[in-house]
Amino acid sequence: MRSFVLIGLILLAMLMQATVFSFLQVAGVKPDLILMLVVFNGFLRGSKEGAFLGFLGGLAQDIFSGSYIGLNALTKMAAGYLAGLAEARFYNESVVIVSLMTFVTSVISHGANYILLYYLDIQVPAFFAILQVIIPTSIYTALLVPLTYWKFFRSNERGWLRFREP
Amino acid sequence: MPRMISYRSVFFLLILVGITLGVMRLTHVERPQLTPMEAAIKDSLAPIQGVLMGISETVNQSVYSVVALGGLSGENKELREEVSELRGQLLLLEELRQENQRLRELLDYREQHEQNFRSTTASIIGRDPGNWFGIITLNKGERDGILKNMPVVTRAGLIGKVVAVSRNTAQVMLITDPRSGVGAMVQETRVPGVLEGTTSGGGATRLIHVPKDTELNAGQVVITSGVGGTFPKGIPIGRIIDISDEPAGLFKTATVVPFAELQRLEEVLIITTVLNPDILPPTEGG
Repeated sequence: MRSFVLIGLILLAMLMQATVFSFLQVAGVKPDLILMLVVFNGFLRGSKEGAFLGFLGGLAQDIFSGSYIGLNALTKMAAGYLAGLAEARFYNESVVIVSLMTFVTSVISHGANYILLYYLDIQVPAFFAILQVIIPTSIYTALLVPLTYWKFFRSNERGWLRFREP
Repeated sequence: MPRMISYRSVFFLLILVGITLGVMRLTHVERPQLTPMEAAIKDSLAPIQGVLMGISETVNQSVYSVVALGGLSGENKELREEVSELRGQLLLLEELRQENQRLRELLDYREQHEQNFRSTTASIIGRDPGNWFGIITLNKGERDGILKNMPVVTRAGLIGKVVAVSRNTAQVMLITDPRSGVGAMVQETRVPGVLEGTTSGGGATRLIHVPKDTELNAGQVVITSGVGGTFPKGIPIGRIIDISDEPAGLFKTATVVPFAELQRLEEVLIITTVLNPDILPPTEGG
């Protein structure tokens, strides 16, 4: 059940980003809802699960986008892994900590995305990349954490996202 | 033992990363066509996207209208109840009126240029979920005769070109996408250059490789030059707002703001057949 719910959430997040959030752009950017889910999952479940969902979520986004398949898969896998590293180090009931972690993870993940664009021969001037994409996206995503984290946290503790021993 | 497991994990990770980097290269945007799996995913998600986009547009419009109505009703409290009763109907009618107006403008534009090109109207049903690339998804595809590289415009000016087509959908790369390059020139002075995107969210493009000794001024209009063959000559693109020297010192770069509001697009025209390559009269966009 947990896997199906996570896949459903990723698909919903992707469709929301592609449609609804086109009308809710702030500073020209949409929040990265998939990354937010990946960070939540990594933070509550550890690096391995974080990286796995990150890869799947990023791959879904790449296939939906239709080009450079693997670009988001790799960067979101890294984001999930990094969030998982924080699992045992921080208090997981603090929304402030999760928001800050989401911001930092997003900056690193989008920074990796920027480097991979060079590998793909797509040159975006650093000024535009940092000020028009990386920073605004990371701030917007982090600001949405307080609205969503508790729901995810509770579901992870005793709802549909709770891990059940087979 | 744990050390061996660790080595194995690292080995598999490296293989995974290696394969992914390879696939990334192979699935570049200029490849001839989508894989059957990608096309099937796009076609199956298209109806859901269309519905979500429609709801979003209505909600977005409603928020603006409610804010406006809220201000008026504050002036006269007695009208508030009546306003709230009629609000639902009004919002729906307003949405339909605006859609009708946009479609009529596109139709006028199409009729105005029927000597120059044939076109078909399409609605936007989705956008790229990320913030790096400027890609929109349209509700027309192979079934409607849409092909790769067809130019896409609105009454205001150039939008981009079709980069991928499935049976029921087409993906358009906007001129603000960092992968986009359009042969362009300054309308007034005929100075040529290449118009490239930066990031989708930035909303501006850059006219690059303009020789330093040529005259560029803020306010000048940039149009397509026809060089490259994808875009017919003379389609208005945008207006120059800023000029700077390129680091190498031999060229200048101009920042160009597109005439078309790329973040608020709802319907567009896909140019299916160009009858006259030197197409449009020198207009100034929107």
